[in-house]
Amino acid sequence: MSPALLLHFVRQDLVDRHAASALGALWTLLIPLANILIFTLVFSRLMGARLEMLGMQSLGAYSYSVYLVTGLLAWTCFANTLSRIGQVFHEKAGLIGKVKVSLFTLPLYVLISELVIYGISMSFFVAFLLLIDFQLSWHWLWLPIILAVQQLLAYSLGLIVAVLSVFLRDIRELVTLAVQFWFWLTPIVYVMTILPDKWLWLFKLNPLYHTTAAMREALIIGATPDLLTLGIIAMLGMGLLMGGLFIGKKLERDIRDFL
Amino acid sequence: MIDVKNLEKSFKLYQKPSDRLKEILLRRPFHTRHHALQGVSFRVEDGETLGIIGRNGAGKSTLLKILNGVLLPDAGSLHSSGKVTGLLELGTGFDMSMSGANNIRTNGLLIGMSEAELDARRDDIIGFSELGKFINEPLRTYSSGMVMRLAFSIAIHADPDIFLVDEALSVGDGHFQQKCMRRIREFRSKGGSIIFVSHDLNAVKMLCDRVIVLSDGKVAKNADPETATNYYYQILGNEESAEVDAVVERGYGNYHAEVTAVSATGEDSRCEVLSSGETLLLTIHISARETIPDLTVGLTLRDRFGQDIFGTNTHFMDKPLSLNRGESIVVRFRVPMMVAPGKYTLSIALHEGPDHTRVCYHWWDNAAGFEVSGIRGTHFIGICQLNPTVEYLPSSEVADDRAQQPRH
Repeated sequence: MSPALLLHFVRQDLVDRHAASALGALWTLLIPLANILIFTLVFSRLMGARLEMLGMQSLGAYSYSVYLVTGLLAWTCFANTLSRIGQVFHEKAGLIGKVKVSLFTLPLYVLISELVIYGISMSFFVAFLLLIDFQLSWHWLWLPIILAVQQLLAYSLGLIVAVLSVFLRDIRELVTLAVQFWFWLTPIVYVMTILPDKWLWLFKLNPLYHTTAAMREALIIGATPDLLTLGIIAMLGMGLLMGGLFIGKKLERDIRDFL
Repeated sequence: MIDVKNLEKSFKLYQKPSDRLKEILLRRPFHTRHHALQGVSFRVEDGETLGIIGRNGAGKSTLLKILNGVLLPDAGSLHSSGKVTGLLELGTGFDMSMSGANNIRTNGLLIGMSEAELDARRDDIIGFSELGKFINEPLRTYSSGMVMRLAFSIAIHADPDIFLVDEALSVGDGHFQQKCMRRIREFRSKGGSIIFVSHDLNAVKMLCDRVIVLSDGKVAKNADPETATNYYYQILGNEESAEVDAVVERGYGNYHAEVTAVSATGEDSRCEVLSSGETLLLTIHISARETIPDLTVGLTLRDRFGQDIFGTNTHFMDKPLSLNRGESIVVRFRVPMMVAPGKYTLSIALHEGPDHTRVCYHWWDNAAGFEVSGIRGTHFIGICQLNPTVEYLPSSEVADDRAQQPRH
């Protein structure tokens, strides 16, 4: 797929979707802004004390908000990428049957589009952090790397889901449910310390546990994340990508026949 | 150039898509197989236009989709030189809420134009579409004709090396169609190849250098347009003749003589579709119940609006006929069909003398029908071919004639 076409799909996804509404592309900015405001203001007084034990700078009433939003934005990006790529063949079935597009690079537009939304949300978040005198450290430079690992995972899983869902429509509902469970199994709204030690190893099998932890390590605490674990998750992501491409190529003829 | 060898495509038909997964997991077949294409081979040279015709379900669309790359063949090879652009549907990806200009971008990118090409051709596309200031209005405010014009304009400016066209060009008004045709001829003369799939046999004959007839997924004929379309008519004829004369009104009269059967076929096509300029063989079977000393056999040719185009009879043609009681005869008219393409019907009459007003034995309206498709020989417009001649003379020789020129 040509970069121009890819860019066009992204644009369509972000801007053209709102073409008929009065505020137009502004919605792409307003929705993340509203989310940030809700999470920072509504949750500001909850769970604040526990966080200072984790080594965060004291942010008074906003500690929990910062903790929550850091994880939540990353999770939203991950979950949306995964579930939207999972349905991308159905969504673009009309095009796949009419013009020649690669089945394996087509989902890139979802990835890019979700990253843009993440970027916009993060800019608002950073603005908020500056407002409350949060000290940004150079450890923020780890963010793109952690994000890349996380999104590689999302893309690979999404691709596998997309291939399967051509043959099994139920996958869509299944994935929606699975993502819900996954959300609550990952320490995003709660803190890791509330987990019972006995079950901690189980939670640590979840790759998102580690990417979220790494994200907080780098952004909030201002420390170098656990690079070994990130490396292992990246390898896992690559493996899943290879697997996804393999079954995708193998079933491409059937996928095109079915759509 | 596009070269196709032994293309095979079959669809596995599943009750539901999940059966495909079951098949992989259980390694047991859960499908029935439909062979859409079998051993299809052909070659299209640069600057050549290939027509593909065939009945519904013969495999035309499957073939086009494989050429376009949206379906993958099971076996066989496909080589093409240059960019292939398929117009499987005009206006692919059109968004009704977006402006015409915006949709040029969407559609252009989708059918394989680059950003630079789009920028360079945008004005041409808008000009060609004749949409003027409407180009900045959302598509939902367009008439369907305007949407079509925009879609055509983009497609025709895509300038690929090989063009795959599915029916697309048979839409649009006459003026616009002509513009498109001109553009396509230019495209061909520059060395572009076209593969044209259509049910409009007229357009196929006009546009194509060669035609293949697909039947049940196989190439049944690969020949010049005339031969191929005639062959196609025969396939159609064989399959349809059973139904055609099921319900026919048998007309009126005193039935002292009766038309028992009528057939109208092209002399060369041997079926009910023929080219303009071809001779129509009209065969009329007549049997007499009484002895008739003076029998006239007449025919009237009507177009699809029911307008009389031509009529004559054996009385005018001075071919007297008499029949004895119980006698049967076959009357054959040979009618050069110097008429425009279209659908026609024939009415047959048996009567006494010059017309049926005195004694009418049998009058049978719409006794036979046929279709004229495509023009053999000199092209013309209107309802009939008058076979004019033309010559060029030096102006000095005709100086005298000019004196008798128009009086105002």
